[in-house]
Amino acid sequence: MAEISFNVDHGYLEGLVRGMKAGILTRADYHNLAQCDTLEDMKLHLQCTDYGKTLSSSEDDLTVSLVDSKLRENLVAEFSCLRSNALPPLSTFLDYITYSYMIDNVVMLITGALKQRDVAELLPRCHPLGAFDQMAAVGIARTPTELYSAVLVDTPLAQFFQDAVSESNLDEMEAEILRNKLFKAYLESFHSFCKNIGGATKDIMCPILEFEADRRAFIITVNSFGTDLSNAERSALYPACGRLHPEGLCLLGAAQDAAQVKDVADRYPAYKIIFEEPEPGSGFKTLEDRFFEQEVKLNTLAFLQQFHFGVFYSYIKLKEQESRNIVWIAECVTQRQKSKIHNYITIFQGTEQ
Amino acid sequence: MDFAIHNSQSRTIVYAKMPPPLFTTRESEGSSTLLDEKLLRFMEQLELLEEKRASLNSLIEQGWFSMSKARYSMGNKHVSPLQYASEMEPLVLVHAKTLDSGELDFSTERFEQKCCKEVGADNRSIEEIGPQEKGVRRRIKPKEDITKKAVNEETSSENAPEVTPVTKSDQNLQQDPLKWFGILVPQSLKHAQLSFKQVLELSAEIATLQTAVLSTRQELKHSKKHKHEEASATQLDSVAD
Repeated sequence: MAEISFNVDHGYLEGLVRGMKAGILTRADYHNLAQCDTLEDMKLHLQCTDYGKTLSSSEDDLTVSLVDSKLRENLVAEFSCLRSNALPPLSTFLDYITYSYMIDNVVMLITGALKQRDVAELLPRCHPLGAFDQMAAVGIARTPTELYSAVLVDTPLAQFFQDAVSESNLDEMEAEILRNKLFKAYLESFHSFCKNIGGATKDIMCPILEFEADRRAFIITVNSFGTDLSNAERSALYPACGRLHPEGLCLLGAAQDAAQVKDVADRYPAYKIIFEEPEPGSGFKTLEDRFFEQEVKLNTLAFLQQFHFGVFYSYIKLKEQESRNIVWIAECVTQRQKSKIHNYITIFQGTEQ
Repeated sequence: MDFAIHNSQSRTIVYAKMPPPLFTTRESEGSSTLLDEKLLRFMEQLELLEEKRASLNSLIEQGWFSMSKARYSMGNKHVSPLQYASEMEPLVLVHAKTLDSGELDFSTERFEQKCCKEVGADNRSIEEIGPQEKGVRRRIKPKEDITKKAVNEETSSENAPEVTPVTKSDQNLQQDPLKWFGILVPQSLKHAQLSFKQVLELSAEIATLQTAVLSTRQELKHSKKHKHEEASATQLDSVAD
């Protein structure tokens, strides 16, 4: 029945987002960008795309960091346009998307305060999609409990703090644990929200969020080898809304090295492919690269169905991947490492657009 | 035998550019051999220096590129100057010694990671460059890990440290710089740190090699001059006879 009534509240925005999706860079665009020798050339090429004059409007020196900031501004403008016209439940859905950026901002402000960085220096670097009023006060908190009770209790992040409150001082380890615990609670909450909406939204979003949960579990495990994070602490960080729950997460919690992690992945066909050894001769891809590729595949599927909210989430994620691609090409161009320049991920293969 | 002029007495007056005469004194034979040895040594050192320089360049490029890969995975603003403090304690020191031959030898020494309680017992103090309230205590110039921009070849000579131990209220400054970017960092960032660590050690070796090359070149010049003087003295003698 959603097909009949969806367009009343959300049809305009779905139309808008599908229009914006048509402007995503194609294989030919990436090919042109990869041929450039300087950032100025790239700027010229980007002018012919939907980015238009975004880069040309600034007076500062063109650096990779500036390119990244401008691309981000572009995305934020598009998102704000969508959010300001959204009605519930789409407005709640779009807010859920912003919470992940809020968590990142909070942790960046905490670690910046640990390094005695000035708040005025940190605030402009925070992700605009994750902005909230109490941001400037985040650096003052010394423990997660203080952070919750003094600063974040009135923000949307308050609901994710059930497991994350603790009395230990906020140092690098605690900040990392806080980040992952908040994200775990956020992901589980988002997953149950999508499940409750039901219909096509649930069919599209739940697999994407389950993949995200499993990805985080794998990446946390692999990156924790050689650090001070104990197995028990690590297990508390795994989101429980993925396909790995509960057996896979148990096994991951006990894993001591990369071979054991690969064992766990081999039990799940979708993840077996990601952890497989690449054929000799093909370029070396990091684990994160392969997860990004799989994420892009899942997100492109969202546009094959209509009358659901998944298109909004997928559009944001695909635009982020596009930014990452452009910044990667820009880094290769400035560092003259042209051999690795083709490691970007083309978003819509062939004529799916 | 270009430019040889035979005068009426059938003696040849030799100019420069002649190959050394077959009948030489034992002294000049010895100095020729010495000169050859020095030249060969110079060439070898130069070749080694070029090799090391090439590997230094490629390691630095690799390090920066690994950092870009880390930025790709973690987000652009998560691997940036925001992640480190403007004051930091070095983990690597460079020692400069003057050898008997007059050459300078540079070597790096890495501090062991200490836990907080032991740091107070450390009796070395580090010179802070820049405005601060306490005076300069000693003259070792430190180097730092990951975030340095250009490899700095300069050092100062180290003598027995006259020390007042540094009392810092926050003893936590000495830590693995990898932790600045988070605890769970991707492999590419670890590779970057490894590359830069190798760069540090290599740069000390290159500095040593460079001073050795320069001093060998000086020796070579002196030897050539000496030999030239010897050769012309011998000729003058034989002309005078």
